[in-house]
Amino acid sequence: MGRIKKKGQAGQAKNYITRTQAVKKLQISLPDFRKLCIWKGIYPREPRNRKKVSKSSTASTTFYYTKDIQYLLHEPLLQKFRDQKVLEKKISRALGRGDVSDAARFERNAARPEKTGKPRYTLNHVIRERYPTFIDALRDLDDCLSMLFLFANLPSTVAVPAKMIARCERLCLEFQHYLIVSHSLRKSFLSIKGIYYQANIQGEDILWLVPYKFNQRIVGDVDFRIMGTFIEFYMTLLGFVNYRLYTSMGLKYPPKFDQVKDDQAAELGAFALEGVNLVSNGETKAITNGEAEHGPDPKVQAEVNKVIRQLKDADLDGDKPAENGATEGAEEEEKGTDAIDKFEPVAPGGDVLPQPSYSSSDPSTLLSNCTIFLSRETPRQSLEFILRAFGCKRIGWDAVLGEGAFTTDESDPSITHQIVDRPVVQAVTSAGGDGEDNQTAQKVGTNARYPGRVYVQPQWVWDSINDEELKSPELYAPGAQLPPHLSPFVKNTQGAYDPTLPLEAQETEAEALDAELADAAEDGEEEDASENDMDVDEGDEDEDEEDDDFEEFDEDEEVEDDEDDEEASAALQRQRELEAELSGKSVKAKQVDPKTKAKLEAKKALEKKKREEAEDLERAKGMLSKKKRKLFEQMQYTNNKKSAEDMKLRAKRRKLEKELAKGKA
Amino acid sequence: MVRLSSGKAVRKTATTTMGSKLLAKKRKAQEPESSSDNELADGAFDGVLSQSEDEFEDAGSDEEEDEDFQDDGDDESGSGSEDAEDDDDALLSDDIPSDVDGEDEITKILKVKYGAKEEKLEITEPGVDPKPKNDGPAEGENYRIETDANGGVRYVYDEIDPVYDSDDSDAQGPVNTIGDIPLSFYDSYPHIGYDINGKKIMRPATGDALQNLLDSIEIPKGWTGLTDTDTGNPLNLSQDELELIKRVQMGLVPEEGYDPYPDAVDWFTNTEEKMPLSAAPEPKRRFLPSKNEAKQIMKLVRAIREGRILPYKPPEERQREEEEKEEVHFDLWQDEVPQAPNPMHIPAPKLPPPGYDLSYNPPEEYLPSKEEREEWEKTDPEERDKEYLPQKHNSLRKVPAWSETVKERFERCMDLYLAPRVRKNRLNIDPNSLLPKLPSPSELKPFPTVAQTVFRGHEGRVRSVAIDPSGVAVASGGDDGTVRVWDLKTGRQVWSVKLSSDEAVNAVRWRPNKDSFILSAAAGEDIFLMVPTHANVTADVDQASRDILAAGFGYAANGQVNMSVPAGKEPPAKWARPGSKLEDEGVLIRITVRSQVKVINWHRRGDHFCTVSPSGQRSSVAIHTLSKHLSQIPFRKLSGLAQTAAFHPLRPLFFVATQRTIRCYDLQKLELVKVVQPGAKWISSFDIHPGGDNLIVGSYDKRLLWHDLDLSARPYKTMRFHSEAIRTVRYHKGGLPLFADCSDDGTLQIFHGKVPNDQLENPTIVPVKMLKGHKVVSKLGVLDLDWHPREPWCVSAGADGTLRLWT
Repeated sequence: MGRIKKKGQAGQAKNYITRTQAVKKLQISLPDFRKLCIWKGIYPREPRNRKKVSKSSTASTTFYYTKDIQYLLHEPLLQKFRDQKVLEKKISRALGRGDVSDAARFERNAARPEKTGKPRYTLNHVIRERYPTFIDALRDLDDCLSMLFLFANLPSTVAVPAKMIARCERLCLEFQHYLIVSHSLRKSFLSIKGIYYQANIQGEDILWLVPYKFNQRIVGDVDFRIMGTFIEFYMTLLGFVNYRLYTSMGLKYPPKFDQVKDDQAAELGAFALEGVNLVSNGETKAITNGEAEHGPDPKVQAEVNKVIRQLKDADLDGDKPAENGATEGAEEEEKGTDAIDKFEPVAPGGDVLPQPSYSSSDPSTLLSNCTIFLSRETPRQSLEFILRAFGCKRIGWDAVLGEGAFTTDESDPSITHQIVDRPVVQAVTSAGGDGEDNQTAQKVGTNARYPGRVYVQPQWVWDSINDEELKSPELYAPGAQLPPHLSPFVKNTQGAYDPTLPLEAQETEAEALDAELADAAEDGEEEDASENDMDVDEGDEDEDEEDDDFEEFDEDEEVEDDEDDEEASAALQRQRELEAELSGKSVKAKQVDPKTKAKLEAKKALEKKKREEAEDLERAKGMLSKKKRKLFEQMQYTNNKKSAEDMKLRAKRRKLEKELAKGKA
Repeated sequence: MVRLSSGKAVRKTATTTMGSKLLAKKRKAQEPESSSDNELADGAFDGVLSQSEDEFEDAGSDEEEDEDFQDDGDDESGSGSEDAEDDDDALLSDDIPSDVDGEDEITKILKVKYGAKEEKLEITEPGVDPKPKNDGPAEGENYRIETDANGGVRYVYDEIDPVYDSDDSDAQGPVNTIGDIPLSFYDSYPHIGYDINGKKIMRPATGDALQNLLDSIEIPKGWTGLTDTDTGNPLNLSQDELELIKRVQMGLVPEEGYDPYPDAVDWFTNTEEKMPLSAAPEPKRRFLPSKNEAKQIMKLVRAIREGRILPYKPPEERQREEEEKEEVHFDLWQDEVPQAPNPMHIPAPKLPPPGYDLSYNPPEEYLPSKEEREEWEKTDPEERDKEYLPQKHNSLRKVPAWSETVKERFERCMDLYLAPRVRKNRLNIDPNSLLPKLPSPSELKPFPTVAQTVFRGHEGRVRSVAIDPSGVAVASGGDDGTVRVWDLKTGRQVWSVKLSSDEAVNAVRWRPNKDSFILSAAAGEDIFLMVPTHANVTADVDQASRDILAAGFGYAANGQVNMSVPAGKEPPAKWARPGSKLEDEGVLIRITVRSQVKVINWHRRGDHFCTVSPSGQRSSVAIHTLSKHLSQIPFRKLSGLAQTAAFHPLRPLFFVATQRTIRCYDLQKLELVKVVQPGAKWISSFDIHPGGDNLIVGSYDKRLLWHDLDLSARPYKTMRFHSEAIRTVRYHKGGLPLFADCSDDGTLQIFHGKVPNDQLENPTIVPVKMLKGHKVVSKLGVLDLDWHPREPWCVSAGADGTLRLWT
C-alpha cells in the first residue's frame, strides 16, 4: 500500500501561495512587498480551483505562484528594504531616547525618495530581468509613457515631489525628440480624455495617452505611493530606452539641456541633440561638442550636422533647402542598399509571398514644405510635436506660447499655414482669401487675415497625419462645421458599423426594407393626413408584423399564421370596404401603392427566410454536444450584442440623415 | 632595654645624611613615645629629661657613630629578639621579623613617606650654596652693593618674591640653614639660625619656667623633648607617627593594612613541563604579516578606490553634489539574448485603443440620446458598461479637462499589480463554424412535413397503429376496445371490430407479407388474428389469408402441441376460435396467454410473431408459430422486466429489451450474442434498422439513442429533443433513410439517418422535422407511429383519439 497522501502537500496547493504567506516568507512589510511586486512584475494568479489551492478555511483572495515568490527571495532589493527598515528602527529608537542628534545622523543616511526623488537603489537589474531584449521593453512601453506623460503634467504635492515631475517631463521630451528625429510617430487622436499618440518603433506599435494641458483634478481615493512606485520604475525604464534609441540614431544621450530656455517654456526647444562620434573611442566622447566638431571623419560630421539641423529651427531660407537637398541626395545613394526591393514574379506559377511595403507617403515629408504658424489659442505642445514629427521644420507661434518659435511674427510672409481656433468675428470682408469663403476671411484687429496663407483649425493637422495626406483646408476653415474626427485605431471588421461608409453600404436588407417602408408610411401619412381612420389600420398592420416576429421557430403554426395573416388582411380589407361604404368614402385612398406592396412582400419573404434560417440553426445546434452548444450560445450572445449596438447606431444615423434631408428640403 | 634600643635608634639616625635630618628627628621622637607608654604608668619622669640631654649629646657625636652603623645592625639581630620577648604587646613574637629587617623596613617606609620632602630639601640646598659669591655682577639690577662688616663688597639681593609661577613656590616657610651645628651654639642669641635668604630665624618665644615645668609634668601627646632646629619650637610627634612607632615596637608591619603574606597568585604555572605541548616548530605565520588584516585593509582600500568610502564632506555640500549627479545611462541591452518567453508568464493586456465614440468630435450617431444619457447617469458608476458618455465639441478649444485621468491611471496601476491574471483562450472564430455541416433539408427530402389526413372515430386513446404491407390500409386499436381499419388515402374507416368491452387494444400489427391481409391485435390477455375487409383486397388475397390462419387448426388437431409442453403444465397459450360473432366479422383466431400483452412483433417471413407482456414474469416473452398454432416461451428466466422484443430483419436473431438493456439472442445456436446498454433508465421501445447493423432506442427518460451494433454496446449518438418521454421509435422500412420518434409532448420528430454502405463511415443523423398536431391529453401525447412501407409518410396515434397521416 502506498503512503497516504496528505492534503495540501502536492499539486496545486504547492504551486500557489497566498499573499499573507508570501509576505511572511519574505519577511518584509506589505508596502515593501507591494513595491517589490510592482517592480519585479509579479502579479497574482487565478488558480483553476480555489478550493484545492487554499489551505485555510477562510477564503483567500490573492494567490501568487510559489515560484515567483521564491524568485523574489534572491532579490538584491530585498536587502535594501531590510536595511532601510533597520535604519528606520534606529531612528525611532533614537527619538524615543530623546537623542535628537543621533536621530539626525541616521536620518541623513536614510534615503527619502519621496522627498529627493532619488533612492539609494537602482532598478537597472530589474529592468534587464523583466525585459531581456530591447523589443520586450518597447512592447511594454504603453503604460510607461501614459504614466510619465500624466505625471509630467501633475501639480507638485507632498506625494509627488517637484523633482519627480521635472524628471518625468524631461524624459518625455527626450522621447518626443527621438520620435521627431526618427519620424516614427504614426497616428494621433483627439479624444475627450486627452490626445492619443501612436508611434511605431522597430516594428512595435506603441500607443499612449497625453492629457490635455489642464490642472489635473485629483480624486481622494488615489494612492500616490503606488503610482510613485510605478513612476520610479518607469522613469528608469524610459531612461534606458531613451539611451538606446538615441544611440541607435547616432545621437548623444542625454541631450544638452538648456535651463534658461526651459524656464522660458521652450519645452522641446530646450534640448539640443548632439551626434556622437561612433568611430571614436571614449576619449573623444569626453571632449565637448565644440571640439568634437573638429573630428577627422567628415562623413560622420555631415550626418551629425544634418541631425542637428533637422531639429533646430534653422534659419531656413533659400540656400538651406538646396544644401539639404545636396546632402539628402548623397545619402540616398547610401540608403539605396538597405531599402527593400520589390520582388516581381518573372514567370507565372510561383506562389506569391507577402512583402513588406513602405506606406505610400513618407511621414517625414508630409509637412516638410509647410511653414506653420500657431495662434495663441492653440495647444502649442502637442501641435509642435506632431508637426515636427511629420517633417515640418518651420513652426512659428505667438510669443505668449513660449520660447523656441521659428518666428513670433504673425505677419511673416513665409508662413503658408496658420492654425487658428477662435470664433469668427463678423467684420469687414477682404479680398485676400485664398480659396476660402469670403465670409470667414477678415482683416480686423487680432482677427486679421494675411493673404497667401491657409487658415485651418487644429483638427486639420490630426486628420491630415492620420490619413497621411493634406486634407482640403476648406473643410477645416475657421468657424466651419468640422467633419467628425474619427479614431485611426479602429480596425473595421466585417459587419461592424463604420461611420466612414455610407449607410446603404452596410445596413442589412431587412433594415433597408424597414426604412423604406417607414419612409413610405410617412409619405402616405403626409398624403392623407386629413383622413383619420388611416392610422388605425396602420397600427393593425404593424401589430400583425410584430406577431410574426414573435412566432419564430415553429413552422407549423407559422405556416398557419401566414395563412391567418393573409386571411386577416383579406378580412381587414373587407372590413375597410364596408366601413367606406358606410361613411360614403372611396376605398381607393387606403389602397397601398404597388411599390409599397412589393416591398411589403419582399419583407415578408425576408422574414420567412430568416425564420427558416433560425430553424436550421436550431437543428444544427441540436447536434452539438452540450459543451459546444454552450460555447456557441455564448459567442452568439456577444455577437448579437454587438450587432444590436451597430443596429442602434445605424438607426440613429438614418434618423439624422432623414432630418438633414428634411432640413435641406 | 628600652633606652638601649632607643639610643641605638638615635645613633642610627645620626648616620643619615644631612638631607635626612628630618628623618632623624622623627627617629628620635620614637623613643619618648614608646617609653612613655611603658613608663607613664610608673609615674617616673627622670628618664625623660635625661633623654633630652642625651639627644643633644648624641647630635654632637654623629661622626663617630657613623662607622659603627653596620655593626650595630648585627648586634641588634640578637638583641631584637630579646626585645620582643620582653615586650608586653609582642604576643605574636614568631611573626615579627628580625630587627634588621624591621629597621630597614622602617627606614624604607619613612623614605617613601617623606621622600618627596627630602628631595625638595635637596633641591633647595644647592640653591643656597652659590648664594654669596661670584656670579653677582652679570645682570645686576636686582641687588645692591654694600660693604660688609669686614669692609668687603657685599651684594645684597632683593628678596625673592615667590610669585605664583615661580620655581620655588612650594618652598615652605623659613628653613634653618645653620647646617650640622648644635643648636646650643645659638643659645646666647635671640635667633636660632638663618633662613635661605640669610635672614635670622628668631627663637620662638618660650613660656616661663612654670609653664615649662607644667609641660614637663603633664606630657602632651607626642612630646619628644627635642627642639626643632628649623624653628626652635619643641618637636612633637603626630598621631600617625606615634602609631607607626607603636607598630614597629610591636614587631608588626609598620604600614597598616599591608599583607606581607598574600595568597600566591599563579600568574604562570609553577610546574615545569618536561615535554612541550607541541613539538612543532614555530609556524611561519608567526613571522608573517597577518593575511586577514591585509584582507580587511584591502577591503577598505578597494572601497576607497571605488568611492564607497568617501572623505567627509559637510552635509550641505554632499547633498548638493548628489543632486547634481546625473544618473548613469548605458546600453542596458548591449548583450541582449532573446529568451523564450516563460510559459507561465501572462503579460498584462494592453488597454484597448480608443474608438470613435471617444473622439472630441464624434459622428453624430455616437452621441447618446436623452434616454441613454439618463440611464447612464442613473446606473451606478461601477456598473456602467462605459465610463464615459460620448460628447461633441465644436472646436478643440472647447474641450475641457478629463476629470478622471488620474483615477483611470491609478486603476490601471492597481490592475497591473493586483488583478489576478488568467489565461483565457478566446476562440476568435465564427460561431457558425462550430455547427456541424448538416445537409440542407431540401437535400434530405422527402420527409413528412404536414398532417395530410386526420382519422377520427376512436373513443379514447388510440394505443397502436399499423400500416399494412401493401400500404393501402391503416389499422388502429384503442382504449375503446375496437380495432379499426382505415383507408390510408381517404381517411375513411373501412372496417371495425370490437374485440373487448373492458380491455383496451394495446397493439395492432399486420402480418408482413403482401400475399396475405392478416392483422394481429392484442387486447388484454388475448391475441386476435383477423382478416379485415378492404376494397383494395381482392378475394384471392382474402381467401389466402383465411387459409393461412386455418392451416394451423389441422396441425393442432394432430396433437403436436402436447409434445412441446410437458404434461400437467398449463400450456403457455391457448389457440382457439373466438366465437361465431367475431368470426363473422373476420376475427378468426383468439390466442389466450397468461398475462396482458402489450407488444406484438412479426418475423419477416410472417410465420412467427412474438408477444411481450411485461407483467408476465417468466412467460413475459412468447414466440408464436402461426402455421402450427404453437406458442413457446423461450426464456425460463429473464433478468429484468421485458419491455419489448423484435426479430432481426435479416438474420435469425432475436432482441429482447428489458428496462435497461437490450439482449440479442441467436435463435439457431440458442445463445446470447450481445448486450446493448443504451444507458437509458427505462427503455420504452426500440427498432432495428432494415440493414440490421443499427438500432434506435427510445426511452421514457426523454432520450433517443442510436446504436451502432458493430461499434460498441454504448450509444453512438444521444439525442434529447423531447421534453417528455419517448413512446415509440420507428425506422422507415421501405428504403428511405428516415426514422421517427413520438413522444408524450405531443410531437413527432423526423430524423434523417443515413447508414452508409461503407463500414468505416459513421452514419449521418440529421434532425429534419418536428411534427406538431396531436393534443396532449392527461400527459399523454403521441402513443404510436408507423411508416408507410414505400412512401415517406407516417401515421401517428394520439392520446386525443385521432390518427394523423403525415406526408
